[in-house]
Amino acid sequence: MSTAEAVAPERTGGSPILVADGVTMQFGGLRALNDVSFALHEGQIIGLIGPNGAGKTTFFNCLTGLYAPTAGTVSLRGARLPQDPARVTEKGIARTFQNIRLFPSMTAEENVLVGRHVRMEQSPLSSLLHGPKFRRSEAAARERSRELLEFVGLARFGDELSRNLPYGDQRRLEIARALATDPAVLLLDEPTAGMNAQETEGTRQLIFKIRDLGVSVVVIEHDTKFIFTLCDRVLVLVQGELLVAGTPDEVRGDPRVVEAYLGAPPEEVEAQLHGGDGDGAGATEAPADPVDGARDGAGSPTTGSHIADLHRADPHRKDVHP
Amino acid sequence: MTTRTDSAGTRATSPAGARTNVPPPQPGGRLDRLAAPLAPRATAARVAGGVVTVVGAYLPWVTFVLNRGPYPEKASLQFFVAPFGVTGFRLHLVLFGLAAIVLALVAVPARGRILRGLAWGVIAVSVLNGLYIAVQGGGLGAITASDGAVAFGAIVALVGGVLLLLGAHAGGIEPRPEWRRQLNPWVERGVLLLAYLALLFVVAAVLTSGGQGGAANPFSGAVFLSFLGALGGFFAALHASGLLTWITALSERHRLFSVLVLLVVALALPLTPAGTEYWMTVAANIGVYAATAIGLNIVVGLAGLLDLGYVAFLGIGAIVAANLSGAGAARFDIALPFPVVMIICAVVAGIFGAIVGSPTLRVRGDYLAIVTLAFGEIFVRSAQNNIGGLTGGSNAIPGIPQVELFGTRFSDRIAVGGLRLPAGVLYYVLIVLIVALVMLVFSHLKESRLGRAWIAIREDEDAARAMGIRTGPIKILAFLTGATLAGFAGAFFAHKTGTVSYESFRFTESVTLLAAVVLGGMGTVPGAVLGAALLFTLPEKLREFADYRLLLFGIALVLIMRFRPQGLVPDRHRRAELAHDPADDHLVEGTSGRDTGPTPRTEVPA
Repeated sequence: MSTAEAVAPERTGGSPILVADGVTMQFGGLRALNDVSFALHEGQIIGLIGPNGAGKTTFFNCLTGLYAPTAGTVSLRGARLPQDPARVTEKGIARTFQNIRLFPSMTAEENVLVGRHVRMEQSPLSSLLHGPKFRRSEAAARERSRELLEFVGLARFGDELSRNLPYGDQRRLEIARALATDPAVLLLDEPTAGMNAQETEGTRQLIFKIRDLGVSVVVIEHDTKFIFTLCDRVLVLVQGELLVAGTPDEVRGDPRVVEAYLGAPPEEVEAQLHGGDGDGAGATEAPADPVDGARDGAGSPTTGSHIADLHRADPHRKDVHP
Repeated sequence: MTTRTDSAGTRATSPAGARTNVPPPQPGGRLDRLAAPLAPRATAARVAGGVVTVVGAYLPWVTFVLNRGPYPEKASLQFFVAPFGVTGFRLHLVLFGLAAIVLALVAVPARGRILRGLAWGVIAVSVLNGLYIAVQGGGLGAITASDGAVAFGAIVALVGGVLLLLGAHAGGIEPRPEWRRQLNPWVERGVLLLAYLALLFVVAAVLTSGGQGGAANPFSGAVFLSFLGALGGFFAALHASGLLTWITALSERHRLFSVLVLLVVALALPLTPAGTEYWMTVAANIGVYAATAIGLNIVVGLAGLLDLGYVAFLGIGAIVAANLSGAGAARFDIALPFPVVMIICAVVAGIFGAIVGSPTLRVRGDYLAIVTLAFGEIFVRSAQNNIGGLTGGSNAIPGIPQVELFGTRFSDRIAVGGLRLPAGVLYYVLIVLIVALVMLVFSHLKESRLGRAWIAIREDEDAARAMGIRTGPIKILAFLTGATLAGFAGAFFAHKTGTVSYESFRFTESVTLLAAVVLGGMGTVPGAVLGAALLFTLPEKLREFADYRLLLFGIALVLIMRFRPQGLVPDRHRRAELAHDPADDHLVEGTSGRDTGPTPRTEVPA
């Protein structure tokens, strides 16, 4: 906790590295994203929160080239990103998925090795001949993979099939695999979904460690307490629009956020949000109570009540559908 | 898939998704229940099963005179010739029965599991022979009683097998023991050498069992199948003892040694009883399909792209070879040397592979399968219509000259030193080298950046793209590589058979190749070879069942998919997964934080 509090003050750090400018995504009649802009600076951790169906994952998919935005541009270090996830990864953006998408019948180490794909000098011909150059590149890749497994704390599971790993470890393995691409920017889609308090704290420390490696991070998460204690800046996305952007304190205090999130009289909920300031233990978990609000992801957004169920992620609905 | 339990208070501790791999229910479960009443007398049941099996072997099996061969006349004294007075399938039954009696009385690790293997062997042998006699003899009377004669051998042996199976289950099926023994490396190599020599003789025995199929030998199919059944039981029993796993571990520890010894052993096949011209030809044909199946295994097994028209690449290789080698009916009047022809065939087939693979950029899964199916059909129709005068149409291209080296034609009989080798042995040597090369290509590619990219695409194409894999070119490369290997094999095929006709490359062949890959084990070299060997030996042996060939394949595939979905020789990873099953539970329980108990998350701090 103390680490979190210590680094929480805004780090504007270096120059902007990932910039989205007026990104709009239209699916038929549905405008999933409307004119979303943001800038990620070097060494920053940015949190992206918002109710279900707000367009967070869609935004990730636009950033990684999986979707071609209807309007707007995404650029990395000033250069526009290509419309191809593979080449975006080559340029230096890596991601994890909301519902874990490891390669289930490969071992943990092989999963990370696949992440090394773009950074390996190995032509098909040398793959065939297995010459000395091949062996060097293979040994280097394995070395790096083991380092990364060690980094996320999975060193002893290197030979385990990834599908046999516990859930939390699978999430960490996905992060290791993404890091293997040597990214400048890491996009994490709900890295703590389904984790207990202890594992969530582990993930928080891991993300700080990743930031300390010089990787800028964008995190989607429903757990607002997690986001507020992790991020330098927080963006709130509601119905495809960027509602608020600012430091965790600014966002936490913003009445619009409270309303969009909770759909309850502000005073009451605000009290809850601020009540958790001191130790933060589970302060914002109250709205997760299922009594609160019917589940209605697709409905119209005019009232706040049905977007309150912010803990109900539906892995099937929001995932990548290329 | 992962599930999230989102009711209040449990979200934080929801490792429900942790167990993503629930082991399928054991197929033995029902048998265990069935055998439960026997549990107190398991040993007695096992001994009785063995005794009944032996008795069944000595009883007459037919009520009529079925010419000669493995079904001797019921009244003759042929039963009582050496060694136990029986030969062929009866000998197998006697040995299985005696082994079962010994195992029932002597405590051996995992003996229940070993006995189960033997029991299935007994059941397979008795059912196969019984069915054969009944069908050929004109009904159940042939294996029970008719015309005043009785012959209950098959039924008694079957009862023995079932009794043995129930006895094995009643006493409990123990987990497979793990042999962790580390011996002196040279002793280990010696063990491996013996194992591979044994394998050589098993291969020779399988190949020659039942003899050459055809009208002159109506029993060949039945004897062959019975032998396979017995062998299956025998290997199941060996596997149950942990021996095969240990030998596999040894071979992985001494990989280079194993590869070299296996190559030598394969080349030594002509020195075994299988060393006749006929078996050399059969083995060479198996080699062609094995090489092709390994190529297909790149596309299907590694990259996970279903190709239903794959044999067309073998055909393209063969047709190119036929046209460039100076055959009379060829389109071009040139005769290039064989190595050059081979390379051209591989290149041309590879180009077609890339063309066929290009739709993978747009279509996936079932749709791709249909595209490849259409390609296979286009190839067959074009070849049938003698497109461009290249294929000879329904006349085929006959008279492709034999491969020659230093004036020795590969079809000739040769002698090395004082050793007289059968005709066609050079072709056999050549195909062994080709298959070895293809295996090398496969395993090198599999253990590389490219191979991992293929497997990643198979596992999850979107995630692979997110990892920076340019899936389009990589998938086309899979088609190209697979087709190139098939083209190689096609060049050999053309010269070996001397005639290239479109009829050798029809849909049935594509399906058989695919079946070989799936049956043997997706993504493994030995699997593809074993699958190809089985599926292309069977038609040779089962000439009298030719009409039922596809039916038999279908049944075999259904059974494999039901009881051994990973194939006969599963991938290293799948093996690891099976071996680790009990440990996994521990792994999941130990680290998922389930033991921390539910954390009350709904409380509002004061």
